[in-house]
Amino acid sequence: MRNTVAIMQRELLSLFFSPIGYIVITGFLLITGVLVMDSFGPGKPATLRSVFGFTPYVLTFIVPAIAMRTISEEYRSGTIETLMTAPVSDVQMVIGKYLAALVFYVIMLASTLIYLILMMIFGSPDMGASLSSYLGLLLVGVAFTAFGVFASSLTRNQIVAWIVGAVPLILFVWFAGFIVDRTEGWMRDAFQRVNVVRHLDQFNRGLVTLEGLVFFVGAAALFLFLTVKVVESHRWR
Amino acid sequence: MIEVRNLAKYYGSVRAVDNVSFTIAEGEVVGFLGPNGAGKTTTLRVLTCYQPATSGSAKVAGHDVFTESMAVRREVGYLPESVPLYPEMRVREYLHFRGKLRGLDRSRRNAAIARVSERCWLADVINRPISQLSKGFRQRVGLADALLHNPRVLIMDEPTIGLDPAQIRETRSLIRELAQEHTVLLSSHILPEVEVTCRRIIIIHRGKIVASGTPAELRQRISAGSQLIAELKGPEAEVTAGIRKLDGVSDVHSEPADGWTRVTVSARHDLREAIYKLSAEKGWPLRELRRDVASLEDFFVKIVAGAHEAEG
Repeated sequence: MRNTVAIMQRELLSLFFSPIGYIVITGFLLITGVLVMDSFGPGKPATLRSVFGFTPYVLTFIVPAIAMRTISEEYRSGTIETLMTAPVSDVQMVIGKYLAALVFYVIMLASTLIYLILMMIFGSPDMGASLSSYLGLLLVGVAFTAFGVFASSLTRNQIVAWIVGAVPLILFVWFAGFIVDRTEGWMRDAFQRVNVVRHLDQFNRGLVTLEGLVFFVGAAALFLFLTVKVVESHRWR
Repeated sequence: MIEVRNLAKYYGSVRAVDNVSFTIAEGEVVGFLGPNGAGKTTTLRVLTCYQPATSGSAKVAGHDVFTESMAVRREVGYLPESVPLYPEMRVREYLHFRGKLRGLDRSRRNAAIARVSERCWLADVINRPISQLSKGFRQRVGLADALLHNPRVLIMDEPTIGLDPAQIRETRSLIRELAQEHTVLLSSHILPEVEVTCRRIIIIHRGKIVASGTPAELRQRISAGSQLIAELKGPEAEVTAGIRKLDGVSDVHSEPADGWTRVTVSARHDLREAIYKLSAEKGWPLRELRRDVASLEDFFVKIVAGAHEAEG
């Protein structure tokens, strides 16, 4: 347990030290800031739904950028060797790094609370729906970060890690509607179960579903498990 | 302290380590000597639990490296050849991080960091980011990390590679100091280093152990024995003939040296007195007389070349 925390602390330090971290947060706030401008206007409903609706699309490439360094940098610099010869298990290492990336994401997400506060000053937004939206975005972060960390474990090159993490997420989220329209029957049902956009829509409408919770947390668990396996396999090469 | 039995490691079809067996007792300082690609790093990686062996067994401090990996890692301090560090961290931060991984609580960590930074001469750079450090200092940080938890076994892969002569000397004397309190296994392809720091040498070539023993024992194995070099003023043919008649001479090589004759004599024992007597007897002035004891370098080259020949 202490190992996991130690690794998380170190990784967090690294994330805040690296310029990538600040570029990511700035980029995210810039994009969401521009989007949110639309929501503020006389006579408009006091809701951040349009922003929250679009945010997951942005997160598909933002979150993998947060996670891209976590494991790939250890490969590249060779520090994986000192990590794997210390009394630290591979699971502790992966979880520690994952938590660091997740904390970074939460901090980034929390900075958007300013929009909610502004809305509260100028109007009276539905707090329940706003809170459930944030929960949805939090869960998206939980799942996307795990996928980003998994992508990071596959290569020693940060950029490749980012691309390998972002592209599947982009396909999954940006083309969700496209896929739903073009499929039917059991294929459509199967896709709908893992359709990030659909789950998030529900959260945005104030509907906190167990199905959504299980999906996001389960996806995170799956990809973290796979990450541990990939990392372990590096010993055998 | 370290027991290796029939260790083999294949990378795909490449045989990096082939049926290697050796034992290192507690408190010994052993050097793993071999040309590049001999299998030194691979063996060390198996012993430090970085990679599993393909077959065979290895035990460190009584624990099997495969089944009791965590126990082994707690007993070992490892300095890899590349000395990997995190450039964005300061030295102190890095050592705190590694100390946490070693299970040291805050007060023990502080004490340990004070101890190793003094031992490894890091006091001046303890608050500097690692990216600003020279290779020599980075090496010391890596060594400090390996010493943090005061391990019983120290494993170092090419500890002086890339250092300047002054740093090399410091590191070697540090290793000799450490040898008094830890069991040390280091690898190198630099012969003088191993000769100077280690009490026992294991020579490894192409994954196999080709020789093992103290430097003195290894030197005795050279069949060439010692060589004597002398310069006498006399006709080359006569000088050569006279020396050849001496008892114990196996080979004489001569060449003219501005009026004098320079002879290189291979002999089983010390013939310096005999050569002196010969020069006095024949009236040939003598201006150089020395004996070259065979060096470990010759031995190393011979062994490696011999192993080459044996393989064809």
